[in-house]
Amino acid sequence: MTELLIAVGVLCAINTGLAVLLMIAEATINRTGTWRITVNGTKELTVTGGRSLLAVLKEQQIFIPSACGGRGSCGLCKVAVLEGAGPLLPTELPWLTPEEQKTQVRLACQIKVRRDLSIRIPEELFSVKQYRTQVAGLSDLTHDIKRVTLTLLDPPAITFKAGQYIQLEVPPYALTDEPVYRAYSVSSDPCETGRIELEIRYVPNGICTTYVHRHLKVGDAVTINGPYGTFGLQPTDREIICIAGGSGMAPIQSILLEMARTGNPRPCRYFFGARARRDLFQTELMRQLEKSLPNFRYIPALSAPDPEDNWEGETGRITEVVDRQVQDASQAEAYLCGSPLMIDACIQVLRAKGMPDGNIFYDKFA
Amino acid sequence: MRETRVKQSLSDDRIQDRMRPGVITRDGMLGEDRRKLRDILDADDAAVRRLGLTHARIAARMRELRDAGARGLGEPIQVLGHFEVRVDSVRGRLPCPFPHPGLCRKEFVEVRNLRSGEQVMFTELNTHLIEAHGFYEGAGSPFRQDPEALARVLELDPDIPDPGRAIPS
Repeated sequence: MTELLIAVGVLCAINTGLAVLLMIAEATINRTGTWRITVNGTKELTVTGGRSLLAVLKEQQIFIPSACGGRGSCGLCKVAVLEGAGPLLPTELPWLTPEEQKTQVRLACQIKVRRDLSIRIPEELFSVKQYRTQVAGLSDLTHDIKRVTLTLLDPPAITFKAGQYIQLEVPPYALTDEPVYRAYSVSSDPCETGRIELEIRYVPNGICTTYVHRHLKVGDAVTINGPYGTFGLQPTDREIICIAGGSGMAPIQSILLEMARTGNPRPCRYFFGARARRDLFQTELMRQLEKSLPNFRYIPALSAPDPEDNWEGETGRITEVVDRQVQDASQAEAYLCGSPLMIDACIQVLRAKGMPDGNIFYDKFA
Repeated sequence: MRETRVKQSLSDDRIQDRMRPGVITRDGMLGEDRRKLRDILDADDAAVRRLGLTHARIAARMRELRDAGARGLGEPIQVLGHFEVRVDSVRGRLPCPFPHPGLCRKEFVEVRNLRSGEQVMFTELNTHLIEAHGFYEGAGSPFRQDPEALARVLELDPDIPDPGRAIPS
């Protein structure tokens, strides 16, 4: 009996010893203690370490843009870490230019908080919040683009500028084991603060677009954060040339709605490229805007209209249409939204028409 | 081209880890392939040599068709006589699993050979992986590029001289 008690006692002592060792290892190797993060030299945060800087900042209600949920595969969560980051990691290298490396820019998702840090982030990120929303409407705009209307619940209102984007959180489902985030431009007028509209094109096997197109229902809860981005109308008097295709309609639509509400008199031409009539959408809205904005012209163009489309409008690729219609772009400014290929091709055409690069604006996340 | 078999190193293990699902792409680059990365590379290298081709030749043809098709801005267009090519791009970029700077656009290229009716689809990352690393992805990977299929559909002729691009091993 005594031997049994001794054996149990020894086992208990060993287990207790191992638990203490694990706690020491957790605190010293992973350094999960309490650390201080100084933001922009002014704001001080006290945080629990051992996790990524991205996660720690999110917990403190500071949202850094990130589309991959912190896996180091989108390269969006760049912040300048002035002190305490440690050496550059191989997983960060592909995403950072030599200039960024010199200025101590790092990927927030790859930096573990294991000591005091000093970081610098753009001031506008302090106004980014997380919102609990509910799906108020879902409708097909084309065969592959859906309009998603979200009512904001908590907080109940969002302040954003026309042209900005939000990030939509997709919860774990068949295509993902963990939450992922994707960026979508807001298509509604910024004056509607209690609800936002998004226009989302289905991408085959896309995690977020499959969720939105195949799983999301009216009444579902959706978490978003934002607003993000600097894309938006510049405060000048120059002629405006907007060029978009597909779901690139969204930020341009938001800009035009705001222009109509505020009676903006600037001359504006909007070239929208699609393949056939079935790919056009919001045509009625654009025709209404032509009536409320006297200097606005909407120019849809089809690259491959079907015979039954009976299309009498512009035809050809959008770059060809812009090339035909715009003679001198040296005094104008352009707003582009669409696929990266389309944006690159449009920039070439606009440059050839004399537009300085500084007058060409497009989504940074494109 | 690798003339002798190279043993899988710790560095190769780390690269192979970055090819697993969810690290760089949702489905990864290995498919159901359980072989070591070095064995996958060696097998495809041998297949390319049997065809009388080089990784550089194959990648150069992929780029040639991509560049011609990119003018369609996402719409299919007929290029180089009898190829229908559609190049689509989405937002974002992807790093290479091999450790070096630089990112690839998220670009998908569909090439249909109108003479044979056969089709292949590849990404900019595929072209880079073939050109710089001789990697065609593992068996069963959604973007696996079979060297023989590429040679057949893209009509790669071993008698035409190699463009002579350097291939890092």
